[in-house]
Amino acid sequence: MLRQSLTKVLNGAQLSPKHIALITRSASDQAAKKPEKIEVFIDDIPVQVEPGTTVLQAAALVGVEIPRFCYHERLAVAGNCRMCLVEVEKSPKPVAACAMPVMKGWRIKTDSELTKKAREGIMEFLLVNHPLDCPICDQGGECDLQDQSMAFGSDRSRFTDIDHSGKRAVEDKDIGPLIKTIMTRCIHCTRCIRFASEVAGVDDLGTTGRGNDMQVGTYVEKMFLSELSGNIIDLCPVGALTSKPYSFTARPWEIRKIDSIDVLDAVGSNIVVSTRTGEVMRIMPRVNEEINEEWLPDKSRFSYDGLKRQRLVTPMLRDSKGELKPVDWEVALLTVAKQIKNAGSSIGAIAGGLADAEVLVAVKDLLNRVGSEALCTEHTFPLDGSGTDLRSSYLLNNKIAGAEEADFVLLIGTNPRLEAPLLNSRLRKGYVHNELDVALIGPKVDLRYKYAHLGDSPSILQQLVSGQHEVSKKLKSAKKPLIIVGSEVLERVDGGAILSAVQKLSASTSPEVENWKVLNVLHKVASQVAALDIGYTPGVDKIRELNPKVLLLLGADEASIEKSDLPNDGFIIYLGHHGDHGAAVADAILPGAAYTEKQATYVNTEGRAQQTLVAVSPPGRAREDWKIIRALSEIVGATLPYDNLNEIRDRLDEVAPHLTRYGAAENANFFKQAEALSKSIKTQIDNTPFDVKLKELQDYYMTDSISRASPTMAKCVQAVLKQKQSKY
Amino acid sequence: MAQVARDGLKQVRPILSLDRDEARKRVLNLYKAWYRQLPYIVRQYDIPKNVNDCRNKLREEFTKHKDIRDIRIIDMLVIKGQMELKETVNIWKQKGHIMSYFKETIEPKPTDFLSKFLTSKD
Repeated sequence: MLRQSLTKVLNGAQLSPKHIALITRSASDQAAKKPEKIEVFIDDIPVQVEPGTTVLQAAALVGVEIPRFCYHERLAVAGNCRMCLVEVEKSPKPVAACAMPVMKGWRIKTDSELTKKAREGIMEFLLVNHPLDCPICDQGGECDLQDQSMAFGSDRSRFTDIDHSGKRAVEDKDIGPLIKTIMTRCIHCTRCIRFASEVAGVDDLGTTGRGNDMQVGTYVEKMFLSELSGNIIDLCPVGALTSKPYSFTARPWEIRKIDSIDVLDAVGSNIVVSTRTGEVMRIMPRVNEEINEEWLPDKSRFSYDGLKRQRLVTPMLRDSKGELKPVDWEVALLTVAKQIKNAGSSIGAIAGGLADAEVLVAVKDLLNRVGSEALCTEHTFPLDGSGTDLRSSYLLNNKIAGAEEADFVLLIGTNPRLEAPLLNSRLRKGYVHNELDVALIGPKVDLRYKYAHLGDSPSILQQLVSGQHEVSKKLKSAKKPLIIVGSEVLERVDGGAILSAVQKLSASTSPEVENWKVLNVLHKVASQVAALDIGYTPGVDKIRELNPKVLLLLGADEASIEKSDLPNDGFIIYLGHHGDHGAAVADAILPGAAYTEKQATYVNTEGRAQQTLVAVSPPGRAREDWKIIRALSEIVGATLPYDNLNEIRDRLDEVAPHLTRYGAAENANFFKQAEALSKSIKTQIDNTPFDVKLKELQDYYMTDSISRASPTMAKCVQAVLKQKQSKY
Repeated sequence: MAQVARDGLKQVRPILSLDRDEARKRVLNLYKAWYRQLPYIVRQYDIPKNVNDCRNKLREEFTKHKDIRDIRIIDMLVIKGQMELKETVNIWKQKGHIMSYFKETIEPKPTDFLSKFLTSKD
């Protein structure tokens, strides 16, 4: 289903060269450590494997895919579906390939009569109680049970129950507004249970009863309260768990799938956008081991219905009565250009959280041409010391995948579970499998793993810097320490002092691994890193000082600036895709494209440039953002020198070459210099406790203009609040 | 060397003309035939063009192919031109067919960025 078939992977299809290098490197490392390999024979093909390899993994090495339902690479082995039974020579009965480690000299037969018979038998047992409702099942067409019953099932039926009296029936569960359950279809593979307890850390799912009476459920009726809940839909090999918003809307063979990037948090998860009839039907994760593995948080997965609501579909101008009236592009561009010409260099721009690198560069070029430098991002970052001049000060330097290897993590003023759910799942993975210790300074939040809560006072940070805190010793002795600072505490007035303290603290640690980077900043929005790379000034203070006559909002919807901050005849232009706060205060609206509607560059919090692809066309008269700026520039009389995507990408390359190296994360290495420069900072950390906006699960769902417009996300908030009232 | 060049060339059967002079003669004949017919065409088809417009258009249609050097292609174009002329003279065509030479209803495609943007053909 989601996973590439093993044969495909082994043949090198779809795997990036980087990925292959990673695999071969780890293989060679292990070979150096453990010389002892054992030889086994898969269908008489000899293969050398590490001791402890399971039969299923050994078979995968020679390109034989053994059918399975319960086995999943990223989850613990359960061995309860029995679909992977294979014959081993001289063994009295077939063995479960997913759970059985190979022994020296074993001859495994994956295609023998006995194996085939075992598979047919298991398939028959599974189908005895499985409803034959494929035609009305949402999983139809991408169902593991359907596929494997065709490939490995018996070619004739022994179904005799013509009175329809005997099939097991199970009551459906209500586990929230995202996941639809049809429990009669369940084959008890327990993947969802294992995911919930191992990855999500929400131990709500489980089984009751034995044998024919076994049921998967939540014991009492409650919502599956996790920000990663949607992943159990992908994991479910049958149609027992399907997506509620997607139910009965499309079939897998009639949708087009376009690879893209998620922009609703700063992680930049890789996604596949499924479209049909010019609409986004659903969003699913795409495997990227370095970022999201194969998971996707709920906001990224389910807020796509927000792309159809509250959209700006036509240019608009505010008339004399103060109402926004639709106009055509010519009129809108001429009016806006006139205002820009009159303003001269008294013009500013604020980039919101969803702006892509192309439009950021185009706006910067345009404003620079008319003589303005007032380009700001909506989200603040300290400018004292080295400020944003050195990339190492504002990146998640150790990368997302690096987080799971750490042995001590200090979180400062962040709630990674809601700000970057997939970073949190990495930390949880480290906590479960790697004995990672986590400490947190900031409000006490639920991260779904145990951590030492040091308090929320900034004085604790100072104690740590001076080495007087009880955790200091642990931090100093850690071999792979990580300090993750939330961008939100750096938005405070004393952000510069906090960043400088954190830089000092990271410099005092002694990681034993080469190229291990202790200092990490976790951003909350997708555009921030690209904007800082391109040279935007973080924070809107500059705009307040300058008081510009014309202000251009690039999807800035967080109400960081009000009309009262501008002069009386001030003119606000809003370029964006949703009718949110920014559009409400604007005098002119230029409708742009959302992330599923343009080919655009985004840089995630690690500094990794990735691009979205066009899945559907922009609605109505909306256009790609950078093209609007390009057209406007021509009317203003400061024509920008790029006409198509390749030309603007060349310009991106000129500004910062890493912006067009898609998939690669550019390292930043000036920690010492940044720390030295930070010594000049005079401001002191004040004593207001650290705080984060996203504290509880209900805060997670609606954080930007797309998710605020999404009915599904609104339902989630309601459901979480309702669940909080419930006695369970 | 000469042998190689000769092998490279392919002998083809001529369509009508054996050399450039003959082809040129055929083209001029066709041009003259059209030219003489133009006043009758304007009158019979009742098109909103005068004889002068039509002469310009005729010249334009011929000069469109001025750079063609291949005798066989020239011959083929002459044959097609004769067919067109015959259809026109015999009133096998209708008014619209004649007017379609002037392409009045075809809008030119935008070429620069701004007009592409405004006509949403970007």
